[in-house]
Amino acid sequence: MAPEESTADLCRRTGIKRSTLAQQLVRGKVSVSTVVSAARAYGQDPVVTLSSFEGYQDLAAGRRDPTPEELISQVPYRDILRYLLSRTDADEDHPAAPRVAEYAESIAVRPWFEAVDPGDLRQQLSAATGIAPQNISAQLTAGRLAPRLAIQAARIAGVSLTSGLVVTGVLQPNEGGWPPRGREAALAELSDAELVALARDRLDALGKVLRKREQDEKYNHALLENLG
Amino acid sequence: MTAGFVVQVLAFAVSALFALIRLPDAIRGRNRSMFACLVLMAVSTGLSLSVFYEFIDSLLGGVNVANLVLRISLYAVFTILGFKGAAAFGAPRARSAVAGPVGLAVLGATVLLTIYFFAVSELPYTSTGLYAFDDQESVHIYAHLGRLYPAYVAACISLPALAASWNRRYRPAHRTGSGLFGAGLAVVVVFAVLTLFGKLGAFMLILPFSAVILVVLGLTVMWISHRLSTRRPKANLLRERYGNVS
Repeated sequence: MAPEESTADLCRRTGIKRSTLAQQLVRGKVSVSTVVSAARAYGQDPVVTLSSFEGYQDLAAGRRDPTPEELISQVPYRDILRYLLSRTDADEDHPAAPRVAEYAESIAVRPWFEAVDPGDLRQQLSAATGIAPQNISAQLTAGRLAPRLAIQAARIAGVSLTSGLVVTGVLQPNEGGWPPRGREAALAELSDAELVALARDRLDALGKVLRKREQDEKYNHALLENLG
Repeated sequence: MTAGFVVQVLAFAVSALFALIRLPDAIRGRNRSMFACLVLMAVSTGLSLSVFYEFIDSLLGGVNVANLVLRISLYAVFTILGFKGAAAFGAPRARSAVAGPVGLAVLGATVLLTIYFFAVSELPYTSTGLYAFDDQESVHIYAHLGRLYPAYVAACISLPALAASWNRRYRPAHRTGSGLFGAGLAVVVVFAVLTLFGKLGAFMLILPFSAVILVVLGLTVMWISHRLSTRRPKANLLRERYGNVS
């Protein structure tokens, strides 16, 4: 990429620790995020640069527009509720316009994974990569997915190969081919019934998470009340 | 100074210290039974040290009534630990085993039998731990009885406590506390079982008193967490971001 540069310069320009880079070079395995940072530092397209590495060759060719489902999976439920309410108040003169929080504040890998899941994505991903399904689930629950898995998941699901890297924060949305106002456009396309159903699904999911959290609080409280 | 003695003194020190730390809360009416439990633990461990034992027993007539006091206070300690522990870990089976008819029958029978075997033993002069009367069968039975009820309660509560320490739904501090608490109770059970099979040498002191230390440390972790949680404002669950939901 930049043969005349020393590793010290590379570290300075990318902000990667020298020890980290040295270790990766010694092992002969440079991490995806290192490659992405290096490409950015030298003004190159990270996806094209990644495509020169073995196992990632089809990445640039596989970069397409995200599907509406993928885009909507990255809209926080608050923005969906606000948009729904703004539609109820809208009229000819004041049409409802969706507003969505910045990508940086709303990307989440698990909703994306569920949005692209044809039904057995965990099993297929496990079979293709040799990573145990419970390990994949644990990563998703923790809000992570290794880049290799994220790309493979997109490949199995038949969506843009860069989408998984966008929702895990490895690539910036524009680098991965996600349009800056894509989520707003996808929301605007929804019919009223679809929007209400989407809001209901999100509230259902939130309710489940909250119920579990409240239950946990109760258990912890019982422990403290009796022994603390 | 043997290892056993060091553990013994340490057990007394931590139970007395952490009982004292809970005193202001107890005055304000917070969890008084756990405070009482720690005070009684300090009494029990204190009375196993000759310094205190000889002094107290001389006040009580010099015929080892202090040892009976030690036993009864130990039973009270385990009654509280059993009731509170079962409620804390939401363990209905453990609760019925400790506070149900069987548990109460075991407690009642142990207390009555303990008093009976104390009464029939010949204990004419003060001897810490009744070591001087080791040759009497009734003293042996009395000693085994003293381990029976604690072991029964410990067996009921240690399992839910250890299960809680594996449970990710509890906060890390509470898992640590439950682990220490449960491990201490498990040691109580192991100790009681081992004594049925003969002399344990130094472990006769090390096992039960390290169990006390573990239990007290576990309770203190909970206490610290409780103090911190009352100071922290209540979390607004809706404000948090849930990566799973978006």
